Amino acid sequence: MDETTILYFIAVVFSILVIYWISIAVSLTYRRNRTARLEKIEITFADIVSRYLYEDPKKPLTLTEITRTLRNVGIKEKNKNNIQFLIRLMIRTQRTIVGSNFYKLQRLYTQIPPYGVSVKKISSWNWYRQARGIRELYEMNQSQYFDEIFKYRNDKNIYVRREAQIALVVFLGWESLRFLPYLKRNMTLWQQIKIVEKLYDLYPKPELKWLHRAYKTDRLFGIKLLMRIIRKYELHAETGYIVDNLNHEDYEVRETAIYCIKTFAVSSSTMEYIKNLYDDIPDATQQGQLLDYIYQNSEIDLDFYMRQLYGTNDDLKLSIAEILWNNGYKEKVQEFYYEQYPNSVLNVG
Amino acid sequence: MWDSAESFFGSYYIYWISVFLFIGYGASLVTLYLSGIILARRSIKRTKQRSIFLREEDIVSATDIPSVTVIAPAYNEGLTIIENVKSLLSIQYPYYELILVNDGSKDDSLEKLIEEFDLEQQDATFITQPIPTASVKHIYKSRKKKYTHLTVIDKNNGGKADSINAGVNFATTELVIFTDVDCIIEQDAILKMVRPYLEEDDKEIIGCGGGIGIANDSVIKNGILAELRLPSRLIPMNQVVEYIRAFLLGRMAWSEVNGLMLISGAFGMYPRKRVIEVGGFNPKTVGEDLELCIRLRKHMEEKKIPYKVVYLPETLCWTEAPSDYNILIRQRDRWARGLWETISLHKDLFFNRKYSKMGMLYYPYWLFFEFGAPIVEFLGVICIIAFGLLGWIHWPFAILLSFAAYLVGCVFSTIAIFMYVKSFDHYTKPKQVVELLLAAYLEPFYYHPLLLFGQMKGYYKKLFDITSGWGTMTRKGFKITKS
Amino acid sequence: MRKVLVIQEDIIILKILERLVKLNNFECRAIRSLDALNIEDQQTNYDFIITDILFEGIAPLEFVAQIQEILLHKNLLIVTNMGQDKIKQEIFALRDITGFYAVPIDLDEIEAIIQAY
Repeated sequence: MDETTILYFIAVVFSILVIYWISIAVSLTYRRNRTARLEKIEITFADIVSRYLYEDPKKPLTLTEITRTLRNVGIKEKNKNNIQFLIRLMIRTQRTIVGSNFYKLQRLYTQIPPYGVSVKKISSWNWYRQARGIRELYEMNQSQYFDEIFKYRNDKNIYVRREAQIALVVFLGWESLRFLPYLKRNMTLWQQIKIVEKLYDLYPKPELKWLHRAYKTDRLFGIKLLMRIIRKYELHAETGYIVDNLNHEDYEVRETAIYCIKTFAVSSSTMEYIKNLYDDIPDATQQGQLLDYIYQNSEIDLDFYMRQLYGTNDDLKLSIAEILWNNGYKEKVQEFYYEQYPNSVLNVG
Repeated sequence: MWDSAESFFGSYYIYWISVFLFIGYGASLVTLYLSGIILARRSIKRTKQRSIFLREEDIVSATDIPSVTVIAPAYNEGLTIIENVKSLLSIQYPYYELILVNDGSKDDSLEKLIEEFDLEQQDATFITQPIPTASVKHIYKSRKKKYTHLTVIDKNNGGKADSINAGVNFATTELVIFTDVDCIIEQDAILKMVRPYLEEDDKEIIGCGGGIGIANDSVIKNGILAELRLPSRLIPMNQVVEYIRAFLLGRMAWSEVNGLMLISGAFGMYPRKRVIEVGGFNPKTVGEDLELCIRLRKHMEEKKIPYKVVYLPETLCWTEAPSDYNILIRQRDRWARGLWETISLHKDLFFNRKYSKMGMLYYPYWLFFEFGAPIVEFLGVICIIAFGLLGWIHWPFAILLSFAAYLVGCVFSTIAIFMYVKSFDHYTKPKQVVELLLAAYLEPFYYHPLLLFGQMKGYYKKLFDITSGWGTMTRKGFKITKS
Repeated sequence: MRKVLVIQEDIIILKILERLVKLNNFECRAIRSLDALNIEDQQTNYDFIITDILFEGIAPLEFVAQIQEILLHKNLLIVTNMGQDKIKQEIFALRDITGFYAVPIDLDEIEAIIQAY
């Protein structure tokens, strides 16, 4: 290596530096203009939607006016980024509204610009575009594309299959439980949450026959999903399914079951059954959580608590002691305490 | 073989060995940084893409999302404690609790809190403490319904780590976030931080960090960052660049390969269950954030549970950086000691196959390049002086080579600033970006030597067993505008 | 004329609610944050305040408490994205809340309340 080589190297590195300076300048300018443009589109869209949903009889809003106004702020076929932003606004609005205005909005969406953009994305080779296309279609309730989306429900890409599975719920409602608990791949917590939320927002009336059929699933994510549905809809008659999973061998299924049962008050016989399951739970933290539930939702059962007080886990024993202490059984706690520490240790007597 | 320093440095072999070692070390670092840029770019892009499918507005309205407690220790923060707590309370998340731990403050912090939030003592006889800490005196909750999410723990002084452990003991949520009470946390920070937990698939998320930014001289209103300004002084300005580089390139790159060994103590989220399993923070080290992260990873490796430690590129937490060189040196001295302690505490990881990549790659990287860099740099300075005095250095060539190395450094900083400007809206004015670039280009001449000095001071203290604690970190305080 | 104050950060919801209110013959003031309040607002006794609870720099519960403290009003309706049962209970615990609507909202319900007034 000589000085000339280093000089060449310096020239190359310096050129890279200059390229980045230019990129920074371009990026700053682009962002500034873009922010202003997006703000304009957002305000225009808000105005159109509000006028469309609550039309002034004296000054009705025509489709020509809508299209012209949107074009004026840059919603044209060649401006893909602007169209994408408009779709985002449409989704944001759609997910905010239910009832008659939801259908009114849907009607508006079939008439304004980005028609066709989302469905084209589904056939893309890029997972991101595909998943995004599916999401846009179900968020805007375009159920006519159900068949195209259905085939992606077991896609190898997590985002594509996740969005396709959520689309199933949006389009089929409770009937989608025919498929969901039997899918091949795992479902993330978010997917379960979103499915439950969508089902609840769009299909508030429970159809139990689909739920009962789905109980046959042995997929762990399926079990968790079903328990979350029972919780969200507060299906008191179905709590047995949650109770049966309180001592499931899988940690996360137990965790979900304990979380879900907390929404319900159960009959005294079910509570007795839960107390029997308590000892089968292999994790002390989860036992503690269930103990909380038992305490909050039932009368003091001295035998049960005394049995636990002489158990093996110190944290649990402390919780039991607290319950007994605060519920008129101070002497039982003291008795237990003295048994632990003989008089000689306590330096009394 | 060598009877004097002169003959040692004058040895032909020593000269060439040093040249190859230093060039080899430098080349390895440049290669690592280059790979880091590629990985970070990929990671940032992926995070951005994923966020399209899991928007904050979806999370904020969902019901089954995990509950989160923010734990903030406070020691003698009476001057700003009320504003700080109100700021932390304003974080937007449906299942959110705030635990403020008063770590035996000698000022009027507690009295102020009691008065402002109308706190009353709670019965704490039976509260379990899975992690041992300095004794807790009282627990307080507010009588006012609007402050139901606030819990104040008043305990005897035990240090930052001990206070956080006390907070973990009392928390009841699935996730816990550790932060400093004077940090300004972005309003939607938790909504973004829970995203990886909601999306976890085959690997459990055991830690999640977010970018930390410097907010010296910025305007704070109602406990939020109303206007982000660049610091007026050069030392904090350089830290802005340093943080952008570290968080956007370094942490994101390591996150991409699941090689993160550190989640900053100023803002990190963990599952409470796992933190308790490993016994919480280690109060005996001053590098407790690094140590906890490594211990958690070891724990998961030993239990053979697949796990992930992740970072988010967005700046979610704003802090005040040391504004003069004395405080900066003290801070870096402490960080260096923390690193030394953690590296030696976990030396069993070194090329240990049992810990797979963590033992074979990540720990050795930390040892050679994070712990080793200041030492190599220091030795490099000594060699240049020695070889220069002996006349072995061909100065025109050496100066050109140094300039080339300097330019490479400038390119890395420029790329980091470019990526930040491109991805986030924090620094949008051309003047701000030019100032950042200039600060980055000046860094090697005055800021970097200060860092090196601070780090070597820390190592020196450890080497000769000179006792030193956390040291006082005097802060000027943010500019607070009342609404 | 009967008056309504709408406070929503989301411009789309804000505009929709503003139109809804105006078409029902109310005078409407629509703002995106508490910063936009003026002295006149603080002196007006609003028939309805329709507000979100998620605003920068203020906790939801504290926001509602502040609204109740600084603005004269007869009815307070909450329309928010953060509409979990837990939040709803905490908000109602603050008292004097007329209604709580979690997103997705049925605008007809809000219209019915306003019309019934």
